[in-house]
Amino acid sequence: MTSTDTGSTTGVRGPVTRARRSARSVLSVRSVRRVPGAVLVLAGALSPWASVVLPGGAYPDLATLHLFDAPHLVTGFRLHLVLLGLAALLPRAARPAGAGVLIIAFVHTAFLAALGAVSFGGPVALAGGALLVWQGRREPAPRWPLPGRAVVWPALAAAFAGLLWLVSATLTAGGQSRATNPHGGAEFLAFLGFAVALLGILSAYGVLAWLSALAERHRTFSVAVLLGCAMLLPLTGAGTGYWMTVASTIGVYAATAIGLNIVVGLAGLLDLGYVAFLGIGAFTAANLAHTVPFPVAALAGAVAAGLLGVVVGAPTLRVRGDYLAIVTLAFGEIFFRAAQNDLGGLTGGANSIPGIPPITLFGQAFDRPVGALPAGFLYYALTVLMVAGAMAVLANLKHSRTGRAWLAISADEDVARAMGVHTGRAKILAFLVGATLAGLAGAVFAHKLGTVGYESFDFSESVTLLAAVILGGMGTVPGAVVGASLLFVLPEKLREFSDYRLMLFGLALILIMRLRPKGLVSS
Amino acid sequence: MTLTAQGVSMAFGGLLALDDVSLTVPERRVVGLIGPNGAGKTTLFNCLTGLYAPTSGLVLLNGRPLPPDPAEAARGGIARTFQNIRLFPELSALDNVLVGRHTRIRQGLLAALLRGPGFRRSEAEAVERARAELAFVGLDPAGRAPAGSLAYGDQRRLEIARALAGDPSVLMLDEPTAGMNATETAAVRELIAAIRERGIAVVVIEHDTKFIFSLCDHVHVLVRGRLLVDGPPEAVRADARVIEAYLGAA
Repeated sequence: MTSTDTGSTTGVRGPVTRARRSARSVLSVRSVRRVPGAVLVLAGALSPWASVVLPGGAYPDLATLHLFDAPHLVTGFRLHLVLLGLAALLPRAARPAGAGVLIIAFVHTAFLAALGAVSFGGPVALAGGALLVWQGRREPAPRWPLPGRAVVWPALAAAFAGLLWLVSATLTAGGQSRATNPHGGAEFLAFLGFAVALLGILSAYGVLAWLSALAERHRTFSVAVLLGCAMLLPLTGAGTGYWMTVASTIGVYAATAIGLNIVVGLAGLLDLGYVAFLGIGAFTAANLAHTVPFPVAALAGAVAAGLLGVVVGAPTLRVRGDYLAIVTLAFGEIFFRAAQNDLGGLTGGANSIPGIPPITLFGQAFDRPVGALPAGFLYYALTVLMVAGAMAVLANLKHSRTGRAWLAISADEDVARAMGVHTGRAKILAFLVGATLAGLAGAVFAHKLGTVGYESFDFSESVTLLAAVILGGMGTVPGAVVGASLLFVLPEKLREFSDYRLMLFGLALILIMRLRPKGLVSS
Repeated sequence: MTLTAQGVSMAFGGLLALDDVSLTVPERRVVGLIGPNGAGKTTLFNCLTGLYAPTSGLVLLNGRPLPPDPAEAARGGIARTFQNIRLFPELSALDNVLVGRHTRIRQGLLAALLRGPGFRRSEAEAVERARAELAFVGLDPAGRAPAGSLAYGDQRRLEIARALAGDPSVLMLDEPTAGMNATETAAVRELIAAIRERGIAVVVIEHDTKFIFSLCDHVHVLVRGRLLVDGPPEAVRADARVIEAYLGAA
């Protein structure tokens, strides 16, 4: 009844009302409330931050602002604060922008305080951010209609280019190490705050949902463009041997996490010893490295891990939930201790297996630069392909009879049986597929590092992988990649916080689980 | 196809939940199962769906013993719903029905990975059939909403659609109208009649005797694990022993 009323009203004077409403939303009393917060953020960004000159030079870029003679010199986190302060004037952007300002300002203020300096801009920006979060409106995101063909390709290409920029900027934020940039960790965390705010603003305006619907509809095209963008990473600021190595290490863990996502996210089997499969693949490839070419060694690693997955899976069919977790935990520990004690002379024990040659295909060693591309690019390209392949496995299986059976088992095993699912077979299959992916990743891992030792496969690695899956979003295709990237980049970036690393890690877990209980990428 | 129980007894430790129960579910018939609480209705149900292996006696599907495994029973043509709705709440309505179609979909793991034409055809057929079942029970054929977000009555219908998707010859409904109002109950009655028209035998457990008597071709009354009376609804309704079991001796 009411719906037809509104329908006829909007039918007659729809555009006028809408225009009037949007004019009101910018100029109304409510919108004026956002202004003090935004002004405080801008003031904070342009105020001096450090009260003393810090070792290693001015903090982080410019200790004193040249606001009047060179306003464009507002760089780094100050520039981010300025941008967020301006964005906060948009009605829906105030909350996410405010949250980003809070993170950036908090990180830098706390870091300066730890160095014994007093920050002036910090408290001002913090107050502004808090005001924005408090006053900002929380509304459901608008839904946009999908566009015609002409807009699709440029829109997706622009989106993926933006994603490429975000990945490259996040990866390189804060520089390589403590030696080159003493404030690197703080800058990285603050950049994460900026990235969160950007994504939050886009999501508040429904842009992210629109893009993902678009990408879903034009799947093949999106995958091609995404792969192309990934291959362009070496041409961005991340195009040095160091960042290529970091990125390919992340790729190895991401592929492993995708395998775990099949076991945990789809089939609902809590596996606490999963890193053992990565280890099986790595040790198999390491032992074969001098005798067979890489593709054969990789295949052998994958098969060995897959078989072991079946061996572990079969006896665990009788246990569920917590008990399954304990059995898999024990399996992981058995593998770890066996590798530590050099069982059968296959793992090198405490000496590890050194001197694994780099992958060589068609006479090209993977650790050498190709043309103008940095060293490590080939490993990076290989892991990108591996991650893409693993994502395809997850996506294709998820939308098939097998994947639906897994999801059914994870939701209600008894009902799945009553629907004709042979739950035992399906679970073993999940272990098999997941372990095979981990084994493949392990083979690349061994060649890339050149050395494989048992200590790479201890319990904490399993926990981190599991955390990556849960944080990223259980059962979602990009979830494990996002989670793994975050969790394996953080320790690399936060070296100067190494004393507080686990605490920060725990804090991040709690925050994400509180704010996005279904993971960063929820379906 | 007929489903029969021959002298089925089921003991849990010292408790005899079913004592020498025999019944036949003929093709294209709606068979009702009533009885006071604790009479053993659900236990009998679980024996007939392969969840329990009877302590003694036989359950035969088309003259062959029913394997004591729900997955095999489903493959053999027995589908069921649950007394407390047990959907996969996070999955979409369509995916729920597709899981119900599990036993009738032919897809290998490799085919699913490679997504060749054969796989796509089988997937498209399955989706089409699942949509048809959603429409049959009166739900939105697109089925995009998560099952857990549907209204109570719709969840009950979705359970029936999920069970029908597996091409069953016998459909077992455990209290399909529990918690429903008169209008919704009438709709379920029509739905069950339509299912019988499709050539599927239906077994219904209900507390609502009026519902059973107006719907079923044959009614069995179970009291304290024993089959008290069985016959056409009119005969069972008039039987003094049934009245006594429900209302107590006069």
